[in-house]
Amino acid sequence: MKLANSTHAIVKEHPVTTLEQTSARSEGRKDPWSPLLEKVGKSQDRQAYHALFEHFGPQIKYYAMANGLASHAEELVQEVFVSIWRRSCLYDWRKAAASTWIFTIARNQRIDMLRKMRRTSVEMTVETDDLWQIPGNNEDEPVTSLHRLMSERRIRESLKHLPEEQTTVIAKVYMENKSHQRVANELNIPLGTVKSRVRLALNKLKVILQDQNA
Amino acid sequence: MTRHHPDSLKLMEYSAGNLSDPHALCIRLHLDQCPHCRSRADMLDSLGAVMLEQQSPVSVSHSMFDAILARIDESADEPFSPSIPDSAGPLRKLLGENLNNLPWKRQLGDASVYDITDRFPGQNEQVVLQKLTAGGKAPAHTHRGEETTIVLQGAFTDNKGVFNQWDFVTLDSQDDHKPIALPGDDCITLSVLSAPVKLTGTFTRLLNPFIH
Repeated sequence: MKLANSTHAIVKEHPVTTLEQTSARSEGRKDPWSPLLEKVGKSQDRQAYHALFEHFGPQIKYYAMANGLASHAEELVQEVFVSIWRRSCLYDWRKAAASTWIFTIARNQRIDMLRKMRRTSVEMTVETDDLWQIPGNNEDEPVTSLHRLMSERRIRESLKHLPEEQTTVIAKVYMENKSHQRVANELNIPLGTVKSRVRLALNKLKVILQDQNA
Repeated sequence: MTRHHPDSLKLMEYSAGNLSDPHALCIRLHLDQCPHCRSRADMLDSLGAVMLEQQSPVSVSHSMFDAILARIDESADEPFSPSIPDSAGPLRKLLGENLNNLPWKRQLGDASVYDITDRFPGQNEQVVLQKLTAGGKAPAHTHRGEETTIVLQGAFTDNKGVFNQWDFVTLDSQDDHKPIALPGDDCITLSVLSAPVKLTGTFTRLLNPFIH
C-alpha cells in the first residue's frame, strides 16, 4: 500500500484502521452511489435502487449497444439490475466503489448472455461467475478501503490527461470488447503500437504495479 | 506466495471481459490466490467503470424499472446463495476432487497429459493438464503460438526460474522450454495453447502429445 510519508507518521501513532476508516468514509461521501447500493443490500431500499437504475441503467444500455448487443440492450440492463438486487447483500463499500462493482456485474452478465446465445448441445461445466471475479468477494482481504476508493478517483482524474490515442485504445478494449489484435486491425496500426499505448496509459494511471513478466 | 504474475495487458483483457473461457480460468485461479493481482484487477475494473461513465448514456424505456421490480418480486422466494469464493471451485467442477486420480495419459518418461479441450466447447484453443513426476523431466520443446500455464500442484523449474503453485507463466515461440519438476509433489499444470507445441529434442519423431 502506498501512503505518503507524512501519513505514515500518523499511522504509527494511531490504530491503522481508524485512520483508514475515517479517510475512507470522507472519501466515500464524494461518491453518492456506494451508500445507495449499500442501502439496497442492507434494507432492500427500493428508492435507492431506483436512483441507481436512473444513473447506471443508461450507461449499461450504452455498454450493451457498443458490444453489438443492440437488439438485446434492454434485456441486458434488466439482467444486470436483477443481478445487482440479488447480489447487493454481498456488497461492501469498503471493498469496491459501487460503479466498479456494477461495471463487473454488467461485464459478467454480458459474457453470460453471449455464452447462452452460443451454447451448443454440450453443457457448460463452468459458470460465468466461476471465471470472472466480482471485486470484494474475498473475505480475507486486509482493509484497503481508502486505497480502493482513491484508485477510482485517481483514475478518473488522470484519464483526463491521457493523449486521445491512448484513451481511444482503452475505450475499444473496455467498451467494445475488442482484443488488442482487433484494435490494431481496426486502427490499422501494428499490434506492438496498441500494446505500447496501453502500457503507457496504464503506467500513467499507476495501474501497473511491479509488472514482473513485462 | 506466488511470484510469477500475469502482465498488466493480460489482466486488462480479463478485466474488460475479452478473454476466452480457458484463459479466464487461468487468470481466475491465480487471482483467487494472489492478493497483489486482485488489487491490480480491482484497479483495472475501476478503469472500466470510469471509461463507461465517460461514454454517452442511452436512455432506457420508462416501463423498464417496473418490469425489473416485477421480476424481483417474482423471484423473492428463491433464496440467493452467493457462491463462496474458493479457488478449488471451478477446478473441482471441471475435474473432481483429486487431480492425481485423473485418467492421465502417460507420455515420454516422466510426463503425462490429460486433454480437457472438450470441456470448453466453441473455443479455438487446446486446454491440457500436464503432469510431471516429482523430480522428473519433460522433453524440450518450443511453442508455435502462445502458451499460458498455471501451476496447480507442486513446482517446476526451467531456464526462466522456479514456478510454484498458482504461479502464472506465459510462453511464446521464442522460448525453448525444458521444464524439470521439483522434488516433493508431482507437478501438475493447466495450460492453454493457441497452437501446437513443437518438440526440439531427440524424441521429436517418437511422440508429441500436442500434435494430432
